[in-house]
Amino acid sequence: MDRHMNLILLAGGFAAALAGAFVFEPGMLFLLTEVMVVLILAQMWNLLAGFGGQVSLGQQAFFGLGGYLLFLGANSTQIPLWVWLGVTPLIVGLLAVPLGLVVFHLKNAYFAVGMWVVAEILAAVFMRFDFLGGSAGIVLRPGGASMTMNPERLVFFIAAFGFVAIIVALRLFLKSTTGLALLGMRDSPDAASACGVDVRRMHLMVFVIAAMGCAAGGSLYYITTLYISAADAFQMNWLIVMMFVSIIGGLGTLTGPIIGTLLFIMIREAMTSAGFSGGTYWIVMGALAVVVLLLAPRGLWPLIRDFHFRKTGRVTR
Amino acid sequence: MFCEKGNALLRATGLSKSFNGVPAVASVDLDLDIGESVGVIGPNGAGKSTLLGLLVGSLKADEGRLIMEGRDLTRMAVHRRVSAGIARAAQIPQTFGRLTVAENLRLPAVFGAGLHGAEAERWVEEVLEMCGLAELAGTDAEHLGLLSRKRLELAKAVAARPKVLLLDEVGAGLTEPEIEQIMELVRKLRDGRAVMWVEHIPFALRGVCERLVVMDKGAKILDGPFEEVWADPDLQAIYMGVPDDEVA
Ligand SMILES: Nc1ncnc2c1ncn2[C@@H]1O[C@H](COP(=O)(O)OP(=O)(O)OP(=O)(O)O)[C@@H](O)[C@H]1O
Ligand SMILES: [Mg+2]
Repeated sequence: MDRHMNLILLAGGFAAALAGAFVFEPGMLFLLTEVMVVLILAQMWNLLAGFGGQVSLGQQAFFGLGGYLLFLGANSTQIPLWVWLGVTPLIVGLLAVPLGLVVFHLKNAYFAVGMWVVAEILAAVFMRFDFLGGSAGIVLRPGGASMTMNPERLVFFIAAFGFVAIIVALRLFLKSTTGLALLGMRDSPDAASACGVDVRRMHLMVFVIAAMGCAAGGSLYYITTLYISAADAFQMNWLIVMMFVSIIGGLGTLTGPIIGTLLFIMIREAMTSAGFSGGTYWIVMGALAVVVLLLAPRGLWPLIRDFHFRKTGRVTR
Repeated sequence: MFCEKGNALLRATGLSKSFNGVPAVASVDLDLDIGESVGVIGPNGAGKSTLLGLLVGSLKADEGRLIMEGRDLTRMAVHRRVSAGIARAAQIPQTFGRLTVAENLRLPAVFGAGLHGAEAERWVEEVLEMCGLAELAGTDAEHLGLLSRKRLELAKAVAARPKVLLLDEVGAGLTEPEIEQIMELVRKLRDGRAVMWVEHIPFALRGVCERLVVMDKGAKILDGPFEEVWADPDLQAIYMGVPDDEVA
């Protein structure tokens, strides 16, 4: 039953991603790729904070690194861009291991702020050094030559199918005993270690996976813009988006962040096309977050789900 | 190397722990052997729970050593001690509220006892049955009442298949018939392992344990055959002023 569901998701996701890549025009593909990237980022922050209990305010560090490593790697070598797209998350994942071992010495709020500091330091470093792009940023020139193809169709396909694959992988993971240990740690890390669970290793694993996912998001996003700058790639807004959509939709659920993302994009697009300038939609998002957290502190999806299952008394995750 | 008298399963020497300069456990020596069940009594604040915390690793000892089957566990993290064979049912149940009762037991079965797949599943069923939780297998632990939560805490420790099973007031707050059920369970669990049971209810310990340890003000002051220790004037002295019905 569950196995079938996962296969249906994968097959359906593949078909939809392929169809979308052919059907939509470039402007729409650009927007939809961003939607997929936000979905991936939200799912990663949700894994880290919602399931792993590690609230980080610095996930934009990995997003920015993902973009930069792709640009620097593709521009300065003859290795194809698409290979770099696959390699970048792995490199960032490797970097996240020693980083995690250091920042885990910080607890709770200190960890959250510590990660923010990491992101700010990275932004300063990339801003400062010209061989990293400096304050001018970098234009994507794979192998030193201008992009000859328009990448948005392929990028959209990879982002959309990648997102579905991530959802299926998370579903499988949460069903596994390792996933069960993670769910247990949400309730009590002490009780988990008393059951023999290596809580530190679990934290590190989740931290690395989230770093890889955010890096993949950064790579995908900046291929579509063809230009990256430290001010944009490491900005706090990326983090705020991940947090908002996860919290509004329902932290610690797989469906919640999807609902949150759709709301976010809809509000933003509606307000922008209605003529509101720049960041006005942030005010609406902020207000929405406050209202949701006051009325349904666990987020929208748990509210909907509980309403739906109240009659049967069935308990779900 | 150091000389060992006999081959104790678990040997603690000079275990000490202070909180803010106040000693809670002061230089305790303790041997536990397979097949042994040891009762531990002592007034409130005597350091019983702290001692169990030092054995299971949730508290770090200031001084002393802990050797199990020749391995030094003194600096070993909690999760590795569980795999090495020490598990505790804590005085305040530490259950996973949002997991079902069966899932609560699957974690120690897999990560503590090292079982996999169908084997783990069978063992969870067995523990559920043994601890009288079979009917509640599918219930989220946060919906359990106190008695069931205490049982689940005990079951979690059992599910890790420890060689040293530490029980901290698993009978507190239960009625006499309920305590008798737990006694029955502990008797079944004695084989092949050491059980150390902290409890303020003498009849429970007397019915199960052949050895008794008395703690007071952080020190182990008596340790020996149950009836001998029970009759010791020092024990009576500690409990002087405590109404009879709380002791006997
Ligand atoms: N985490 C802690 N921080 C500070 N002091 C503590 C801590 N845990 C225990 N203590 C103190 O250490 C002493 C021993 O406490 P412990 O809980 O081991 O006693 P106990 O014998 O288990 O008592 P009880 O029968 O009430 O459970 C007490 O004075 C207690 O206040
Ligand atoms: Mg105690």
